[in-house]
Amino acid sequence: MQHDMQHEKDNHSERMKLVASLTSKRARQDFVKEVMKMPGGENILDCIQCGLCAGSCPTRFAMDYSPMQIIKMVHLGMREKVLSSSTIWICSTCYICYTRCPRAINFTTLMMSLRNLAIEENFVDKNGIKPKFHRSFFEIVNKYGRLHEPELFTRILKKSDLKSLFHNAALGWRLWRRGKLQIRAPKIEQNNDLFSILERTSKEGS
Amino acid sequence: MKYAFYPGCAVHSSSKEYGDSCKAISKVLGIELVEIPDWNCCGAIDAIYSYKPLFSLALDARNLSLAERMGTDIITLCSACYYTLSRTNKLLREDSGLKNKVEEALGSAGLNYKGGVKVRHFLEVLLSDMGLEKIGEKVKIPLTAMNVASYYGCFLVRPPDLTNFDDPEHPTSLDELVETLGASKVEYYGKTRCCGASLGITDEEVMLELSKKILLNAKDAGANCMITACPLCHFNLDAKQKDVESKFDLKIDLPILHFTQLIGLAFGIEPKELGLHKNCVSPKKILPQYVRSVA
Repeated sequence: MQHDMQHEKDNHSERMKLVASLTSKRARQDFVKEVMKMPGGENILDCIQCGLCAGSCPTRFAMDYSPMQIIKMVHLGMREKVLSSSTIWICSTCYICYTRCPRAINFTTLMMSLRNLAIEENFVDKNGIKPKFHRSFFEIVNKYGRLHEPELFTRILKKSDLKSLFHNAALGWRLWRRGKLQIRAPKIEQNNDLFSILERTSKEGS
Repeated sequence: MKYAFYPGCAVHSSSKEYGDSCKAISKVLGIELVEIPDWNCCGAIDAIYSYKPLFSLALDARNLSLAERMGTDIITLCSACYYTLSRTNKLLREDSGLKNKVEEALGSAGLNYKGGVKVRHFLEVLLSDMGLEKIGEKVKIPLTAMNVASYYGCFLVRPPDLTNFDDPEHPTSLDELVETLGASKVEYYGKTRCCGASLGITDEEVMLELSKKILLNAKDAGANCMITACPLCHFNLDAKQKDVESKFDLKIDLPILHFTQLIGLAFGIEPKELGLHKNCVSPKKILPQYVRSVA
């Protein structure tokens, strides 16, 4: 009994905290409008909160908010909370939520768009790795035209984390032994193509 | 039959054996794969898209335009490249505003893309253009002792509006192929569950958990090997299987083959030519009796 009451109280204070974090009606409308313009966010208002996405998501166990909750948080204008959630980075983009959604909300593509916004506004995940992953991947491909796997790994690895260094060295050895560790960076011939494409697309502001 | 071949970055590095086995079986089947000259990275799902979306689309458009010059469909081996290139192709067809921007960027590099290329996965080409019957005719050694769990993963079958050659949740194409080769198919629920994809680099714990579920599920269902159709899935399930074992204190030891390697075995191609010695979990114990001595 005592326990139930305590639980009820906790729940209540949780709810009050949530309500307090809500923003004005104006802010709510602004965020919904902003999301509706993004790829994947077009029909975000069609969500009926059925929870199929949350129940289907294979990485839900590692997220702070489920896909269904993120959608509700968008409706409520909780911009900061959405962009600083672990959900947008933990999504493995498997497209199972979109495949099953009865309202055809493309949550997976929306995750990519929200990542883009989060990177632009300097939000980071808890390990601080994800934005670095995307930036490094881009820089490597822009440099060589193709991915250089070992360089991506070494750029992202935390040099202070000895356990992880050791662990990844073992993986590298496993690949090298089988002739699958590409030591020399690849290079495409017309690398200039990429520079002019980058220059032009950067002008468009995205 | 001639196609523009887009190997993707992984096939040139950590998944060399996938490309080798693909070439070996193509030779037997009379499929000519001409590598797109000077192709570039597709952007890997959202690795670049989430940082520079327009640049990522233009990167794909460059590949598409190079293939268009060759006048044939693009064939990929990698499910992630398959998704990424198809998505861009679809966006360019449907969004004229976006198409204009991408065209301008391409133009600055002296290229253009009219939109006439079809992006296809090698598996789909085998099934639609060749057909199971023709593949069956080439089988020399039926793989009767093999219980194969087909792993489809995500991008081979999803999202359904991009890749509509098989069911997004209950696909059967690889299973049918397995039976054509004389092996037994294994039914298990994990066949379209995510392996963790690039989380292996950024959030390894999550990826190991996902891959563990798939591997154990397939083993419990009676599989003695698994096939994949994507280098990234293969990497997580094969090269990282040891990490799964040590993290969860398990013994899994489930050989993971590229589906092209399985076809090659049934065709009687030398294991070495199929790159079987490059797989991290040794497939020696499940090879047909006659090849075991050679491998």
